[in-house]
Amino acid sequence: MMFTNDSHNAFAERRFLIVDDFQGMRSMLREMLKTCGAKDIDAASNGNEAINMLEKGKYDVVLCDYTLGAGKNGQQVLEEAKFRNLIGLATGWVVISAEKTQDMVLGAAEYTPDDYIVKPVNEATVRTRLLKVMARKAALHDIEKALKSNDYKRAIALCDEQLVARSPYTSDLLRMKTSLLMKSGQNDKAKAVFEQILAQRDIPWAKSGLAKIHLLNKDFDVARRLLSEVVEANRTYLEGYDLLAKTLEEVGELDEAQHVLARSAELSPNSMTRQRSLGEIAQKRGDLEVAEKSFRKTISLGEYSVFKTPAAHIGLAKVCAEKNNTAEAIRVLGEVHKQFDDPEATLHAKVIEGAVQSKSGNLVEARKLAGEVAAMVKDSAARLPAHITLEAADLIMGTGNKDAASELLKIVVQNNHENQQLIEDVKKVFVKGNMEQAGNDLVESSLQEVVQTNNRGVALAKEGKLDEAVTLMRNAKAMMPNNKRILLNLAYAMILAMKKNGRDNGMEREARECLDRVQKLDPGEKLYGEYRAMLETLAT
Amino acid sequence: MDASQASETPDMTMFLASAIHDMKNSLSVLTGFMEDSLGDAALQEQPIYKKMAPMFYEVKRLNDNLLELLTIYKVDRKFYPFDLAEHAVDDLMAEIEQQSGTLLNTQNVKLELDVQEGLYWYFDRDLVLGVISHALNNASRYTRGSLRLAAAEADGFLELRVEDNGGGYPKAMIEEGIAVSRGVSFNTGSTGLGLYFSAMVAKMHKNQGRAGEILLENGGKLGGGCFVLRLP
Repeated sequence: MMFTNDSHNAFAERRFLIVDDFQGMRSMLREMLKTCGAKDIDAASNGNEAINMLEKGKYDVVLCDYTLGAGKNGQQVLEEAKFRNLIGLATGWVVISAEKTQDMVLGAAEYTPDDYIVKPVNEATVRTRLLKVMARKAALHDIEKALKSNDYKRAIALCDEQLVARSPYTSDLLRMKTSLLMKSGQNDKAKAVFEQILAQRDIPWAKSGLAKIHLLNKDFDVARRLLSEVVEANRTYLEGYDLLAKTLEEVGELDEAQHVLARSAELSPNSMTRQRSLGEIAQKRGDLEVAEKSFRKTISLGEYSVFKTPAAHIGLAKVCAEKNNTAEAIRVLGEVHKQFDDPEATLHAKVIEGAVQSKSGNLVEARKLAGEVAAMVKDSAARLPAHITLEAADLIMGTGNKDAASELLKIVVQNNHENQQLIEDVKKVFVKGNMEQAGNDLVESSLQEVVQTNNRGVALAKEGKLDEAVTLMRNAKAMMPNNKRILLNLAYAMILAMKKNGRDNGMEREARECLDRVQKLDPGEKLYGEYRAMLETLAT
Repeated sequence: MDASQASETPDMTMFLASAIHDMKNSLSVLTGFMEDSLGDAALQEQPIYKKMAPMFYEVKRLNDNLLELLTIYKVDRKFYPFDLAEHAVDDLMAEIEQQSGTLLNTQNVKLELDVQEGLYWYFDRDLVLGVISHALNNASRYTRGSLRLAAAEADGFLELRVEDNGGGYPKAMIEEGIAVSRGVSFNTGSTGLGLYFSAMVAKMHKNQGRAGEILLENGGKLGGGCFVLRLP
C-alpha cells in the first residue's frame, strides 16, 4: 500500500492526544501515529489527566478510549471538553472502544464523537479514519463557526452552498441545516426538507425530525405514529424512543411512556438524562420502586459528569419521603449541599427538607427551615424556576407565615399568568392556608396587571412609539423575568424598533436572550419561531 | 425476571456471549501481532513466512467468525446499534482493500478494484465491511491468484461483488445461498455462519419496501465464484 505525501503531511502538521488507561495501548497508538507521520503526540492515562492537558494545550485530534478505569469515562471526557470549550470546532474526536454502542453512534449529535474505532485497532484503520475525520472537520469548519457564534442565517447559507454540489457530507449538511432551521424558528422549511428526504428513503433521523415538528405543533397523533414507525424499524434508535416517550407523556399515557423510557434507558445504560427521565415519570406514576432505582442510578452515573444536576437527589429524597424513610431523605438532601456549589440547589434542598420534616411531623424543624427559605428567596424568587418558588411557598404557608407565602405565590402568578395548571397549583396552596378568597383575588389582580402592561406596550408599538414600548416592556421584564408573554412582547417591540432604526448588536442580543428564555420556559410556543425567524432575517 | 432466580440459573446465552467477547479480544491481539510480523520485510525473506500465510488466514477466519457470532447475538437481542448512514462507496472499498492487504499479500493474491465513481449509498458501515471482508477472506482461499472487488448501482440497488478466478461454487452451495437469502433454516456444515451473517446483514438494510439480498453465482469477469451483496 502506498501513501501519499499529503496524508503524511496531514499527520505531521497536527497535534494529537491519546487517552487510554493501559500503557501498552498508549504506546501502540503512539507508534501507529508516528508511522502515519505524526510528530506531536501527547498521552494521558485517565479522564482527569486528559482534562488537565486539554485545559493547557490545543489539540487537533484526540484519540480516546471509552473505558478509562475509575473516574470519568471517555464519553464524559468528551462532554466536558465540548461543554467547557476546551476543544475547538476543528478538533476531531475519535473514540476507541471494545465494542460499538448506541451512545457512540446514535447519541445526542452535539456530544457524539466524530468517529469511533472498534478494537482491534490497526494502523490502516487509524490512518483512514483519522484522515477522513480531519477532512470532514475542515469541510464543515465554517458552518460550525457560524453556528457557534449563533449566526444561523450564515450557517444555513453555507450549508446550502455546499449542498448544491454532491458532497461526501450531504447527510451531515442536511442534518445541520434542518437543525438550524428549527433553531431559528423556520419549522415549515425544516419540515419540507425532512419530507423531501423521506420521499427518497426512510431515514430515522429525518423521520424523527419530522415527528419533532409535529410534536411542537401539538399534533400528537401524527408524532406518535411517525415515532412508533421509527422505533419499530430501528429497534436501537434512541432519539426515537426519547421523543416517543415525550409524546406519550403529553397525551397522558404515562404507563406506556414509562415503558418506552425503560427501553431507551436499557439501550443506553450509561445515559444519565435517560435514567433521570425514567425516574421522573415513574415518580409521577407512583411507581416508587422504579423511581428510586432510576434516581440512584442517575446519581451514580453523574458522579464524574459535567452535566450533573441536583434533580435526581431531589427526586430521590421525595421518593424516600413517600416511602416514609425520612432519615434517608434527609441524608440525600445533605448530599446536595455537599456536592453542589449552587444557591438554587441549596435552596431547593432546604425546601424539600422542610417538606419532609413537616410530613414526618417534625414541625419545629420544618418551621425553622421555612424561616431560612423565606429569607433566602426574598430577593431572588422572580428568577427561580416556578416549581421551586411554588414548593417554597407551600412550605412557608404550611408552617404559618401567610404573608411571606402570599408574596411568593404572587410572583409565581405574575410570571406565569397564562399557565392554567400552575395557577391551579397556586390556588391549592392558598386553600391550604385558609386563604381561598384572598388567593382568588390575588390571582385575578395579578393577571390584570400583566394584561394591562402588555396592552399598553402593544398600544405604544401601534402608535409607532417603539422606544417607549421597549422601555415599558423592559421594566415589566425586570419585575417578571419569567413571564413568557412579556418576554415575547419585549422581543417583538425590539424587532420592530430594529426594523425601523436598523440593526443594533446590543438589542439583537437582548431580543435573542428573551426568545431563548421563552423557548426554555415553553418549547412549544408558536410565536417563538415566528419572532426568531424575523430576528434572523433582519436586514443588516 | 426474578432476581433470586436469575442468580441460580445463569443466562447461558449471555454467558456464551461474554466468553466470545473475551476470546475475540485474545484473537485480536494475536491477529495484530501476526499482521505486524508479516509486514516486516526481514521476516518475508525467512522460510517461516510461507508457513505463516495459512496460519494468518485461519486466525483471521476465527476472528471474523467470533465477531459475526457476537453481532448475530446482539441483533437477535435487539441490541445491535444499527447505524444507517450515507457513505462514499469508494471510501468503503479503499478501507476494505487496506484491511485485507496483509492477508492477500501473504497469499500472493492480486486484488483488482472496480468502483463506480461518485457513488454514495446508505448502509451500516461496520456490517457491510464485515460481510465483504469475510467474502474476500473466503475467496482468497479458493482463488487461483486473482480477485475482483466491484461496486456499482444496478436497478436501484448498490451491488457489491467479490469475484475470483477459482473453480466456482459447487451447485449445492449456490442453492444454499438462495435458501439462506429466503430465510429458510439450514443445517449444513462449516460455511453456514458466514452465509447466515451475510444474509442477515442484507435483510437488515431496507428501503421503501425492498430489502437487501445476497447471491452466490459462478462466472463474473474472472470466471470463478461470485459473492454478491445487493443493498436497496
